[in-house]
Amino acid sequence: MEEDTVTSASFTVNGQPQQVEAYSSTPLLWVLRDHLGMTGTKYGCGIAQCGACTVHVNGEAIRSCQVPLSGLAGADVTTIEGLAAHGGETLQRLWTEMNVPQCGYCQAGMLMEAADLLKKTPKPTDADIDAAMTNICRCGTYPRIRAAIKRAAGVAA
Amino acid sequence: MSNIALAPQLDRRQFLVTTGVVAGGMALALSPADAATSPALPPPWAPDVAQGYEFTPWIEIAADDSVTVRVPNPESGNGTMTQIAMNVAEELGCAWEDIRVEIASIHRNYAENHVYTKGSLPFFGGHGTDKVRMAHTMRLGASARERLKAAAAARWQVPASEITAADSVLTHAASKRSLRYGEVAAEAASMSILAEPELKPQAEWTLIGKATPAKLSIPAIANGTAVYGIDVKLPGMVHAALKQVPVMGGRLKSFKADAVKHMPGVRAVIAIDPSNSRHSPVKDETSFGLGNSEAQHAVAVIADHFWQANMALERLPVEWDLGSGTHYRDHNDIYLGMASIRDVGEGKVVLKKGDVAAATGKRVVEGEYLSPYGENAVMEPLGGTALVTADACEVWCATQDTMQAFWVSVDETGLAPAQVKVHGTAMGGNFGRRTQAEDIRMAVAVARQYPGVPVKTIWTREEMFRQGRYRTPISTRFRAVLDDATGLPQAVSGDLCFGGDRPLFQLTQGYADPPYFNSGAIPNVNLTTINFPVHILNGAYRGPCFNSNAFITETFIDECAHAAGIDPVAYRLALLAKWENPWSDVLKLAAEKAGWGQKLPKGEGMGIAITNWPMATIPHFGSTMATVARVAVSKDGVLAVKRIDIAFDCGKVANADAVRAQIEGGTLFGLNMTLNEEVTIRNGAIVEGNYDEYPMLRMADSLPEIHIHFEALSGNDRFDLMGELPVGPIGPAVGNAIYSATGKRLRATPFRKQDLSWT
Repeated sequence: MEEDTVTSASFTVNGQPQQVEAYSSTPLLWVLRDHLGMTGTKYGCGIAQCGACTVHVNGEAIRSCQVPLSGLAGADVTTIEGLAAHGGETLQRLWTEMNVPQCGYCQAGMLMEAADLLKKTPKPTDADIDAAMTNICRCGTYPRIRAAIKRAAGVAA
Repeated sequence: MSNIALAPQLDRRQFLVTTGVVAGGMALALSPADAATSPALPPPWAPDVAQGYEFTPWIEIAADDSVTVRVPNPESGNGTMTQIAMNVAEELGCAWEDIRVEIASIHRNYAENHVYTKGSLPFFGGHGTDKVRMAHTMRLGASARERLKAAAAARWQVPASEITAADSVLTHAASKRSLRYGEVAAEAASMSILAEPELKPQAEWTLIGKATPAKLSIPAIANGTAVYGIDVKLPGMVHAALKQVPVMGGRLKSFKADAVKHMPGVRAVIAIDPSNSRHSPVKDETSFGLGNSEAQHAVAVIADHFWQANMALERLPVEWDLGSGTHYRDHNDIYLGMASIRDVGEGKVVLKKGDVAAATGKRVVEGEYLSPYGENAVMEPLGGTALVTADACEVWCATQDTMQAFWVSVDETGLAPAQVKVHGTAMGGNFGRRTQAEDIRMAVAVARQYPGVPVKTIWTREEMFRQGRYRTPISTRFRAVLDDATGLPQAVSGDLCFGGDRPLFQLTQGYADPPYFNSGAIPNVNLTTINFPVHILNGAYRGPCFNSNAFITETFIDECAHAAGIDPVAYRLALLAKWENPWSDVLKLAAEKAGWGQKLPKGEGMGIAITNWPMATIPHFGSTMATVARVAVSKDGVLAVKRIDIAFDCGKVANADAVRAQIEGGTLFGLNMTLNEEVTIRNGAIVEGNYDEYPMLRMADSLPEIHIHFEALSGNDRFDLMGELPVGPIGPAVGNAIYSATGKRLRATPFRKQDLSWT
């Protein structure tokens, strides 16, 4: 089967060159977690529903459970571990100041998604936030996520 | 399950010198420093190394003044660990910036004379401000402070009583000398004092009830360094993917390991048989017993990487004997069975007042109500990492109940407790799902068969949904006879059936305890319960059973109000007239703030509900909450919950923002439960496997504005719990609002499966 092929791919993660050899079907999510030991990116569903695994690939927020190793050659990947160096400090600080997370498991994905939103839409409306932030939070931190994004953007709550 | 009181039995040993003991193994990275610059802290698999001087296994102070508080109650997301740190800091007098918290390594509890459980509730987070725990942890802080003073006094040769302690500094005003805590920590930790100090009066508190710090866990969450159970990394660690028998109660017949053994990275293919659990050689010390933690028949593939393990598992030929559960063609078979047994009239009487047969009113209100199976759907999958050898077992895992995880590990391996170590990690949600630790038993059972190598077992999301310990389904019939003059019930009869056969998850909170039935407001009451045995296993789901009973009772009371032609707020106030004030105050405040009684456009409506968790029959106990929902329903039945107003009484609040966060989150959890959640059954197995089949509220789902009002707090001297309660009143408030808007009465959840259209 095609998914059984073993592939080697070179790419960068948070600016560091990486080379990984594994099943070509191995999702970036598991490449990061198991092969590179970067566990900030979370497994939640494996089918692009929950968004806990969101990272940036070539500057776009994407669910890493849907990106196979075979599609990674030459990619530039940013994860939660590298978000501060990629313009995420304000969001991360507000997440703490505004006591946003509860259990916190979904929040790496939320932060990656929020950073992508603010890069593309520096002054988002509620509708912009709704459209971008499709991730699931079981604890119900949505009101605080919205408030923190607005404060980071300097728009009225 | 929460109404457990432990007498504070302080053990002198806790206050004695323990500098020879190294720090606990778990070092969850927690620091209030800026997320972006927060330094990496030792992970849970790092060797046990003391960073400072241990005053007790709970408190360590380092030369740099940092205070590490080791807490046996893991952080659930509700701020338990932060609250306990606040309790310690209140008496210790350290600067908040110096505080860190770690999950205590619970095996020390066994080795060191119950240092983490004596005088303190050792289990999960719902009781973060529990009275017993609060006093205990404040005493620990006070004792450490006095020993710091004693050490400074010895150095300066002045009486300790002349020394003050604040902001991590000891000061002798008369001689204008001062020392930082870190400068005398070494001496202080080995100092004993003659008498333990009294706690300061509440009026002198500076943190509790005053400050509202964010959770100490957040910086590490925000920069990706927090270590959850799934994130544990050990040298040489391998990964396991697990598949348990698809119908509960079934067995493994056979599997063909040879078909996948050649696949890259695969190390072993194993079977789990519950009869191989070896059992604890001594009596366990769990809070709720090991009875609901048994292993399930299963197969697992162990490989170098999880993706390899899971690919091989998906291709592994397995034959199951699915057992007798398959005779349930679908969930309706179960719900019909529940209704039938409920109506036989052989239920156990759980509340009886007067004589319901004697009621004579002309108006009768009757309804049948149902809440279905639901899955906790925690975001972090279950599992754990275990290293088992012939004479030792070490486990790293996310658990709500560290004692349960420890004893389950002892029980599965049959090792002596002294041979077992359990390290707690951060938890990606629990809502009751991580109380029984059967997932940890499975992880240990897998690792036992691959000894000498650390094995991390991860449940897939599909395994999570199909191997849940589900919300107990409840089917209730209520009947009221209304008084001809007042419209209030003269008599109420209720018959309730629980689906399932685990008594721990058959609770009557919200059904038998409301003051309507207990205060004398309704003179004749007869309530029964019975259970319908089902192969599907129940577990704790946020506010167990209460989450269903609250919906059912508060919907039924609303029906009585409408049948009597009385406003639902006025009706409830009349029913609460003989009960403690805070209930009425809470109800009135929520109604007033919501603008109750205002004229609304057609298709809009308001609904109200009031509940208490965990025990409404005791005055000034637990927490009471009233929720008002305002909804709009379009003619074709599209529901929008527009606004929620909430008032509550938990006595006092220790951290107002923590309480607010629990109410926001719990309300949205309860809203999702009511609108969306149901797992269904086909041929005895759970159908839904992932979030695409189990819709969850998201930000785009026009979530309501949530307005939380603190003015009904009674000030009664307690800091009661807020984790479970908000899931109770939101559902019936929305259902009652839908009735006001449309005239449609919803007696079952989830609402998304019901036709709300109107003309």
